[in-house]
Amino acid sequence: MTIYESVLAGLEEVRRHLGQTLLSLLGLILGTGSIVTVLALFGGQGELTQQFIEEVGGVGTIIVSDRDEALRPTARELASKRLTYRDAAFLKARARSLLAVSPGWARNLAYRVADVSFEGQVIGTVPDYAFINDIRPLVGRYLSDLDLRQRARVTVLGWAYADSLFGTAPRALHQLVSIGDRSFRVVGVMEREEFYFAAWSGNALAYRNRRAYIPITTAQTLFSPDDRLSFLTLKARPEHGAAAAETEVTSLLFARHGVEDFDIRASGQRGSEDQQFFLLFNFIFLVVGVVSLFTGGIVIANIMLASVVERVREFGTRMALGATAGGIFTHVLAEVVVVTILGGVLGLALGTALTGTVAHFMQMPAVVTPVIAGSAIVTAAVVGLLAGIYPALRAARLSPVEALRYG
Amino acid sequence: MAALIAARGLTKTYRLGQVDVPALRGVDTTVDAGEFVAIVGPSGSGKSTLMHILGCLDTATAGSYHLDGEDVSRFAGKRLAQVRNRKVGFVFQTFNLMPRLNVEENVALPLKYRGGVPRSERRERARALLERLGLSHRIGHRPDELSGGERQRVAIARALVGSPAILMADEPTGNLDSHAGAEVLATIEELHRDGHTIVMVTHDADVAARAQRTIHIADGRVVA
Ligand SMILES: Nc1ncnc2c1ncn2[C@@H]1O[C@H](COP(=O)(O)OP(=O)(O)OP(=O)(O)O)[C@@H](O)[C@H]1O
Ligand SMILES: [Mg+2]
Repeated sequence: MTIYESVLAGLEEVRRHLGQTLLSLLGLILGTGSIVTVLALFGGQGELTQQFIEEVGGVGTIIVSDRDEALRPTARELASKRLTYRDAAFLKARARSLLAVSPGWARNLAYRVADVSFEGQVIGTVPDYAFINDIRPLVGRYLSDLDLRQRARVTVLGWAYADSLFGTAPRALHQLVSIGDRSFRVVGVMEREEFYFAAWSGNALAYRNRRAYIPITTAQTLFSPDDRLSFLTLKARPEHGAAAAETEVTSLLFARHGVEDFDIRASGQRGSEDQQFFLLFNFIFLVVGVVSLFTGGIVIANIMLASVVERVREFGTRMALGATAGGIFTHVLAEVVVVTILGGVLGLALGTALTGTVAHFMQMPAVVTPVIAGSAIVTAAVVGLLAGIYPALRAARLSPVEALRYG
Repeated sequence: MAALIAARGLTKTYRLGQVDVPALRGVDTTVDAGEFVAIVGPSGSGKSTLMHILGCLDTATAGSYHLDGEDVSRFAGKRLAQVRNRKVGFVFQTFNLMPRLNVEENVALPLKYRGGVPRSERRERARALLERLGLSHRIGHRPDELSGGERQRVAIARALVGSPAILMADEPTGNLDSHAGAEVLATIEELHRDGHTIVMVTHDADVAARAQRTIHIADGRVVA
């Protein structure tokens, strides 16, 4: 009915007191701006996390790891053989939701070539490990089934270790390296792996460059009294999905161990410090946003209330001409919402500028998507609705005579 | 024929804290269709109060009131708003035009509140009335660009646009100089000649003399 007129009135109000309106909208503008920035950064991070998951083997890669032994293990826990090579064989034979299984054995051992030596991670595993994790050698080859059968003393070096032991990665090929005081021949060097969530956060895959792979059979023969494993890396069949595979593996392993002495998770889940920093950063922005929206809403409610008091004669006249209380209520509410939507648009502009700045200086991807823009406007409209309710009720409750007598 | 306005025993009592302030103390009055009636009386006698009740802006504390055959004293809220919109055209001493709307939009406002009147018809009716009142050249102007007399005539057009049964004016010339006042009064007389029913409050004897009939109010009662 009079929505058009309310919109017009809202815009006119804005035009007449432009400075004052902008000032009253400041909180709302800051609030929507911050929230737009947070959402854009989150969106960018979400996208990155997706890419990261792709990078570390894709959706469907599952890691089962040996849980640290309890300080005072129960009888049941003591009875368990823990995670073993035979678990891997068992899953391979029985878990129908799995496409590939690779047992993993990990230990820190001494590396030495001539006078260079240091301690670092050694992974004992199988050829499928490279397939599951989607990693490739830069030169040479990865571990082979023959290596496994022969318990060969061969190793595939991570890029960083090849670099620090032999100067350059290609030069490491066919050389001998001492690992854990045993001599291994280098049959391959892996590609350098890197992934950056932000410029300041460092290479999230650096750990993969600092390790060597050896056949798991060799590892257990030379360095292990038993066939216990540190982890299993599994690949779910796409048609089953990771969730179903996790459930199946959990129940199969639980049946074998009689106790849950292992952890299972999807690959690519981040828990690193830069993630926490990012969350803190976003949290601050979010708090600023919500507080600004809240105070902004209160300011707008106040100003609208003053405007209603100032315009009692107008509302009285409208009622005298036939406006209902409901009509007046809608009129005032629509006016507030028009003004706050304007604030939302300005906030969106501010947020977009802020997102660009943050993304530029922190080297983080962030995009203000249409969905984010829409949420900003909707948020502003909701703030307007909430802030407008009380002033609109006040206006609607006026009686025409009282309103006309005023002033 | 039945009276357009038939009020019996209208009382209005305002409550100020603990004190009751009687503004009307039992008013009986009738107005027939086509009449031009002036309500006169000293300041504070209850003229405006009576007019507000007759115009359905307010409800009486006691008494009955029939407007155009309907017992509106039982109405409230939305129904009263409807009666105001359809039956009554109100003209105020202070014009009360919407400053943000132009003349045509101001005049069409009651039709907007009526609902269901298409935009083109609203425009047409507003323009027709403005032409009749000699204001065609002011259609796109804002109220603050008009003289007092013009504003009041725009207000009269607004009051008439919904074809109400009755036109009510509370001191319509009170805020105008004598020339503009005479102009507005001439307009009202002309409307009366055209068959409109008019009730006008005034405390100016010369203005009251232009009406067909005068209702004298003193201290909340009809005295003559
Ligand atoms: N809202 C109110 N609360 C209390 N008293 C009121 C209220 N409105 C009117 N009155 C009182 O009712 C009486 C009648 O007022 P009303 O406005 O009808 O007088 P009036 O005849 O129109 O006077 P004027 O010629 O000055 O306009 C006055 O005593 C006035 O003070
Ligand atoms: Mg009065």
